[in-house]
Amino acid sequence: MYPYNVQKLVSLLTEIIKAQVDALVFDWLMQQPSFIDNVAHLNASFAAMPRKTGKAIIQLTQEQELAVQIIRPHFNINGWRMDRLCRVWLLLNLPSADEDRYIRTIENLFLAAEMHEQVALYSALPVLAYPEQWRKRCAEGIRSNIGDVLHSIMCHNPYPSEQLDNSAWNQMVLKAFFTEKPVHQIIGLDERANKELSRILSDYAHERWAAHRIVNPLLWRCVGAFIDENLYPDMERVAASENNLDREAAVLVCRKSSYLPARELLNKSVLLQSIKDDTSVSWEGIAQRAAAAV
Amino acid sequence: MHKEQQRQYNVFKADKQRHFNEQKLSTNMCCNHNLHDNDAITEKDLQPGNTAPFFRERIAGMQFFDPHVHMTSRTTDDYQAMADAGVVAIIEPAFWLGQPRTGVETFRDYYSSLIGWERFRSSQFGIKHYCTIGLNSREANNEALAEQVMELLPLFIYKEGVVGVGEIGFDDQTAAEEKYYRLQLDLAKEAGLPVQIHTPHRDKKRGTTRSMDIAIEQGLQPHMVIVDHNNEETVKEVLDRGFWAAFTIYPFTKMGNQRMVQIVKQYGTERIMINSAADWGISDPLAVPKTAALMKEQGISDVDIRLVTYQNAITAFGQSGQIDESDFASVKEIDQSQKFSGNTVLRGGQQPRINKDSLIIQ
Repeated sequence: MYPYNVQKLVSLLTEIIKAQVDALVFDWLMQQPSFIDNVAHLNASFAAMPRKTGKAIIQLTQEQELAVQIIRPHFNINGWRMDRLCRVWLLLNLPSADEDRYIRTIENLFLAAEMHEQVALYSALPVLAYPEQWRKRCAEGIRSNIGDVLHSIMCHNPYPSEQLDNSAWNQMVLKAFFTEKPVHQIIGLDERANKELSRILSDYAHERWAAHRIVNPLLWRCVGAFIDENLYPDMERVAASENNLDREAAVLVCRKSSYLPARELLNKSVLLQSIKDDTSVSWEGIAQRAAAAV
Repeated sequence: MHKEQQRQYNVFKADKQRHFNEQKLSTNMCCNHNLHDNDAITEKDLQPGNTAPFFRERIAGMQFFDPHVHMTSRTTDDYQAMADAGVVAIIEPAFWLGQPRTGVETFRDYYSSLIGWERFRSSQFGIKHYCTIGLNSREANNEALAEQVMELLPLFIYKEGVVGVGEIGFDDQTAAEEKYYRLQLDLAKEAGLPVQIHTPHRDKKRGTTRSMDIAIEQGLQPHMVIVDHNNEETVKEVLDRGFWAAFTIYPFTKMGNQRMVQIVKQYGTERIMINSAADWGISDPLAVPKTAALMKEQGISDVDIRLVTYQNAITAFGQSGQIDESDFASVKEIDQSQKFSGNTVLRGGQQPRINKDSLIIQ
């Protein structure tokens, strides 16, 4: 059911919650699993969570953050509000032996969820039982127009890269660029790069260029491995950009490309000469500076 | 100016002169932000338009809370106009959408949209959005459906930002309306939530009295009940019995704002609040700020204006424990992590403004 040790995660989260909420709130929360079989009660506890726990941002030590990641790789609760953490904690206490009932109960929460509940539900996807059963739900979440909801699926969430098929994955990455999300926080961005995605993103870049709009340099990170004669002209254009970050992106792509003209571009392009051997150039650095430049 | 823009401008100008023989086109369309080499949207694009309505200078710096407005039925233009006029927070009561629903799922989706999409849409304009959840009186008459909606309500009334049960009460004053009104009063009492009562258009005085009688019979305290859509005929009894009296400034069918000024002069400001109830009919989402401007002009003090256009509503609905005034400011905060069009900071996901006087749409 669970592909990781859920009991260990529940204990760790319980410890984190206990240290940061009032004793009365903690007692209330600890009582909730005993009523959890009653759907109406679960619905009310889930909805009323911020009234009980407050909405303060949780504090995590580095050890705690690491401990979470050891139990469930890439699961990241840093920066969460207390009500979000407690809602996920509540879900982890749901009886999961009856698969149909388990899924129906959680789906029902999705159907009536307000924004913060949706954020909690989508961020719970990587720690729920029956991970393969939430693929459609995740793809549905990517259709949301609400920024925080998209963020909770796209950023620091390992579920999409582990479970989505290529078409849903590609849709998510494209939408992340489209809605200006911090794409470097997408888990599995490099591992899940694929030829179809590189074509889609190149098309998207051409649309932006045609409209005299700026193209996020991180887009080329997902395209780089698939440079061929069709995509190579894009690289020439990026290498000739007046924006430093674009040229750094071109250097990173061309260095690793298996397409010979792209590697030759490093030496051929005058504009790339000053940075082509700079080992400090990185995608993470480009992402940080792009964020800082605003 | 781009060649293409210049060409369109010339065509438009010639066209306009030929047909209307009017003076030259407004210079607005040459406004700077249409002319960048790329379309980078800047903080400037968020600023209010420079043609402020005449009343706005009288209420400059004031903040308003509209405790009854159906934004689901309104446009983004309304949101921008409200934000520009100083509306910082609103309550959207669940109501009748103009035609009857035929299934419980559409009720669920409607309630979901009040706590979801509409709240988010509002935040994009810097306005904090709350709602009240309830089964309106008209649709209470479809008893088979009403039964199912009653089962649904507990799932929504405990949600974040739900500040009451509403709008409920009487329309036609039928037995079914009374039944579901009483059941929802019980629900509000159990949840410790305020109640927002819609009073009927027809047989209003009797309906208002009856609504209050029933609330008392069901064990609610008058201070937990906001009686809405009052007029000169109903206000005295509502205030004398200790209930909150809300007034809807709505053209033709409800109160006009000159009458409202007289009511405040006569009854003072205690437990009185003003709303627009703007919806799909001919209504005015700026009713609260406009009435404030009229009060100011007619000699009512800033302190009193603040009470009836802001504070009293917060005090009444704040009994839900769900209103935090600091949220009004944070919904407007600049979120440095948010970007728009590549390189520009906008306030957290806020919508950029468009120049409505421009021929060019970018």
